[in-house]
Amino acid sequence: MTCALPKKTQSQWATFARSWFLIDARMQPPGKIASMCSVRLQGKHKPIYHPLSDIGDHVVVMNTRHIAFSGNKWEQKVYSSHTGYPGSFKQLTAAQMHKKDPTAIIKLAVYGMLPKNLTRRTMMQRLHLFPDDVLPEDILKNLTEELPQPREIPRKLSEYTQEERNAFPMLWTPPEDYRMK
Amino acid sequence: MSLLGMFWNQTVCLLQHFRGRKNRCYSLAVRAVRRAFVYASKARKAKRRSMRQLWIQRVAAASREQHMKYPALIHNLLKCSVALNRRVLCDLSITEPRSFQSLTALAHARRTEGLRAALGDGAEPPGVFSRITQLQ
Repeated sequence: MTCALPKKTQSQWATFARSWFLIDARMQPPGKIASMCSVRLQGKHKPIYHPLSDIGDHVVVMNTRHIAFSGNKWEQKVYSSHTGYPGSFKQLTAAQMHKKDPTAIIKLAVYGMLPKNLTRRTMMQRLHLFPDDVLPEDILKNLTEELPQPREIPRKLSEYTQEERNAFPMLWTPPEDYRMK
Repeated sequence: MSLLGMFWNQTVCLLQHFRGRKNRCYSLAVRAVRRAFVYASKARKAKRRSMRQLWIQRVAAASREQHMKYPALIHNLLKCSVALNRRVLCDLSITEPRSFQSLTALAHARRTEGLRAALGDGAEPPGVFSRITQLQ
C-alpha cells in the first residue's frame, strides 16, 4: 500500500493499523479466552493505548462450540435475564445456553469484561465468533495473527503410546498374589 | 469603577460556551463561573492522577509485548537502581522501542539472577552488562 506520504508518517502507518487476531477456543476455558479478547478489543496490548482513541483490533474466535468449563460449571453456572415484563425472569444453566446458541457464553463473557461505556458496543461489533472452524472467506483473508491458546490441552490416556506408558515410573510394584480388579 | 463591568470584562471569555442564561445573566453567571473555577481546581489534581494511570497502562502493554509483566519490570528496574519514572518509560516504549526492549532484558536478567545462580553455571547473561546487584 504505497501512498504519497512523507517518510515519517509512513513508518508510523503500521502502528495505527487495525489487526485481525484469530483464537482457537477448542478445549479452552471461556473466561480465559474472553479476557484475551477483551484486552485486544480495547487496544490495551498496544503502547499507544488511550481509552478515547479507537485503537482496538478485530478478534475472531473459532470452535466456540468446543469450549471447556472447569468444575461443574456446565450444570451450576446460571445465566439470568429479565425483559422487564412481569413473569419473564429466565434462568438458564450454561449447558442449556450453550445448546441454544454455541457462541453465547463467550459473547456474554467478553461483554462483561469490556469497560461499561459507549465504546463497548463498537468493540463487540469487532468481535467475530464462530461455533466451528469454518470461517467465511472475507474474514480468512483479513486475519493477521493467531494467538497461542491459554490452556495446555492434556492428552487422553488413549493418546499415549504403549512405550510412553511403559516408560512412566511405577509408584509401587504389587506382589505376585495381589489381585487387581 | 463598577463591579458589574469588572466582572463582565474579566470573565466574558470564560463563560461564552456555557448553556442557557448562564452566559448572559449576571446572577446565574456568577454562580456558574465560581463552580467552573472549583471544577478546574479539582481537575488539575485529577489530571496528574489520570496521566500516571495512562502511563502505567502503556508501560504494562509494552512490557507484555516483551513477555514481561508490569510489576516485575518496575520492581526489577528498581533493584537495578534504574530510576526512570513512568512518564519516561511510557515515552521510551512508544518512540524508542529498542531501548525499551533492552530495559526489559535488563529487568529480566535481574529477575532470574537468583535462579541462574542456583541452577546455572555462573555465566553472565549474554548482552546484559553493568547491572548492579545491590540496591544503592
